[in-house]
Amino acid sequence: MNDRVPVVVFIGQPNCGKSTLFNAIAGFRAQTSNFPGTTVCHAHSEVVWKEKVYSIVDLPGTYSLIPQEPQEKVALTHIFQEKPDLIVNVIDASLLCRSLELTVELLELEYPMVVVLNMMDLAEKKGMKIEAEALEKKLGVPVIKTVATRGQGTRDLMDWVERVLAERRMPRHLRYSGEVESRIKQLTEILPSDFPVIANPRFTAIRAIEAEMLAVDNFFLENNPEFKRGLDRIRREISALREAPAYEVLAAERHHLALKIFEDCCRVSHARVSGLEKLDNFIMHPVLGLFLLLLIFAGMFYLIFRVGSPLEAWLLKPWEALRLGIQERFEQNLLAGLLVGLVQGVGGGVAIVFPYFIPLLLMMGFLEDIGYLARAGFLMDAFMHRLGLHGKSVPLFILGFGCNVPAIMATRILESRRDRIITALLIPFIPCAARTTIILALVAFLLGPWWALGFYLLNLVVVAVLSSILTRIFKYSSPGLILEIPSLKWPSLKNILQKTYLNLKEFVRFAWPILIAGSVLLSLLSYLNFDRLVNTVLSPFVSGMLGLPPGLGLTLVFGFLRKELSLLMMFQALGVGYEQLLSVISRAQLLTFVTFVNFFIPCLSTLAILWKELGRRIALVSVGLNLSVAVLVSWLVRLAFAIF
Amino acid sequence: MFGHRKNQAERQLIAGRVCSLLEIPQGQKFRILEIKGGPGLHRRLLSLGFHRGDLVALDGEALLGGPILVKNLNSDTRIALGRGIARKILVEPVDDNER
Ligand SMILES: Nc1nc2c(ncn2[C@@H]2O[C@H](COP(=O)(O)OP(=O)(O)OP(=O)(O)O)[C@@H](O)[C@H]2O)c(=O)[nH]1
Ligand SMILES: [Mg+2]
Repeated sequence: MNDRVPVVVFIGQPNCGKSTLFNAIAGFRAQTSNFPGTTVCHAHSEVVWKEKVYSIVDLPGTYSLIPQEPQEKVALTHIFQEKPDLIVNVIDASLLCRSLELTVELLELEYPMVVVLNMMDLAEKKGMKIEAEALEKKLGVPVIKTVATRGQGTRDLMDWVERVLAERRMPRHLRYSGEVESRIKQLTEILPSDFPVIANPRFTAIRAIEAEMLAVDNFFLENNPEFKRGLDRIRREISALREAPAYEVLAAERHHLALKIFEDCCRVSHARVSGLEKLDNFIMHPVLGLFLLLLIFAGMFYLIFRVGSPLEAWLLKPWEALRLGIQERFEQNLLAGLLVGLVQGVGGGVAIVFPYFIPLLLMMGFLEDIGYLARAGFLMDAFMHRLGLHGKSVPLFILGFGCNVPAIMATRILESRRDRIITALLIPFIPCAARTTIILALVAFLLGPWWALGFYLLNLVVVAVLSSILTRIFKYSSPGLILEIPSLKWPSLKNILQKTYLNLKEFVRFAWPILIAGSVLLSLLSYLNFDRLVNTVLSPFVSGMLGLPPGLGLTLVFGFLRKELSLLMMFQALGVGYEQLLSVISRAQLLTFVTFVNFFIPCLSTLAILWKELGRRIALVSVGLNLSVAVLVSWLVRLAFAIF
Repeated sequence: MFGHRKNQAERQLIAGRVCSLLEIPQGQKFRILEIKGGPGLHRRLLSLGFHRGDLVALDGEALLGGPILVKNLNSDTRIALGRGIARKILVEPVDDNER
């Protein structure tokens, strides 16, 4: 038979658990979080089930088949242009009524389809009794109940996937009311033969009536005046039926179909108020909520410091000993230099990065999964408006604390390009886990936690000031906030651990080798005396302007690869161990250095993603902006120390 | 029978009290009458499951002219709306016994 790998796409409204389900089936590889708009580009994976291979695609969530946000367009391109073999429509069962509107739309495609009722645990808690058989009968497609976080129902789902694909079962669309249906039919009859048909003529006609802009250009319409007149007339007639714009009439038709199905298949007994809802009232409280927000971030910072700092001291010891041992054993030769570089690279990863990196990832995972990101956006919206942005950027900034790269990708959830550019330019100023490491490992460890907290605040002030400057330059009133607030969900420990593991794996695979290689390379360069050259060239700036030891020049160059690298190399360049650092440079110098490293040029991967997402120009602007801010702010820090 | 008539009378009493989402008190039920503003906003709200005729309630407000939190009682979803947008959504009060 056909030996092409069948393509199975997961499609559904944002935050219904598509990626979690995908992970449960394909192994953990997609990011998940309790925030609508987590997935912004598709992920796919080949899965073997009962000796057959399937290509499973996880798409960004989409509220309807009329795309409005960039990530929704990704989803739609996928189902319209690369026609899948099977659609798996994932539904958040606790929001069944609304989700069915998309299901009705998907049925109109008349592609083979199965419906997944995910989050059955939450639906049951809400007192919803959903009769799957009744739903199957109404929709004409198999309905499978799952709880993706626990992996329940995934086998069932794969069995049905296999069956529906084998039987090539096509569903039928549901009928709108007669007067609307007949108008749609009229339009299908006058569709020009060269009109690009999506799925089937009826679906194409509906799309044409609803769309703000047709998929075909004006040229096409001019050449088909009859069609254009027909379309206009049908829109007018549909609109007259209900005294509403045609697109609303069609949406209302689907809404009523969905409502009818919902009422026939689901009974809701009265649910009691859960503990989470009480917690939610507190989180969303206009005053207490803001306090809580501050408390959460201060607490997170404190905890990471409390965990990381003793761990760091303890982990550093053996590597320090090893380094000293090597330096004693060998004379100043190349081998010793390289070995020391290696030890510092490996040890730096283990002892400096991990103690802070892992707790930060765990806590971010918790905040994401419980659903705090959208809520922070809600609470901070007014504040963000003063800075010229709106609350939807807040979750992105929070993501940026973990790593800037996914945060910049996630700017796709912003509707306006202007907001997207400004947010993406600001994200590199958010101290990511790597930079938090520098701040904690250097500033907090050597100068005390209050200095580090102060530094963090300074960092946020810089972001705020920059934001209001940037938004003044790109003037344009930003559209108001529209953001779905998902229900709070108890995070599952397993999911958080898996997420942390996924991020850690990335770090070990990509960042750590760079750290080690960078360290070794520095040893080599200093053995060849090449470092002197670079340091001399940079010295007017490094020592003249910033007042730092000229030996730090080269470390800055490397900081471009990874910010942690500058930190590790600092010890190497100054030729001291960790604890003795303050004997070589002063407090002011340390802070000036950290400030500069923190702000200057986004790291290589951030730059690459900026380039890819927003183009070369924005990437270059970002470099320029970061450099100038780094120079200015670190110079100010130096000045402040000189004065006070 | 009697209750029904009272309902009718009351509804007429409050029928004139059309206001925007910005002006409603917390916790009471309202019905969406109209969404002003361009088709862009209208379409977006439709796809988020906010239709004309849906019952909504104000669920919270952020400080300092921040967004409001609107709950759709039909679909049990909540969205945060900036004030400029909330102003464009007209609602009328609904009797508590109505679903
Ligand atoms: N209680 C419960 N939580 C779930 C279930 N499935 C997913 N979740 C949680 O729901 C949240 C959203 O899951 P995702 O898989 O990121 O949702 P998505 O559909 O991929 O969302 P987008 O990519 O934003 O469209 C996560 O916090 C999951 O842990 C479930 O069956 N039960
Ligand atoms: Mg997803």
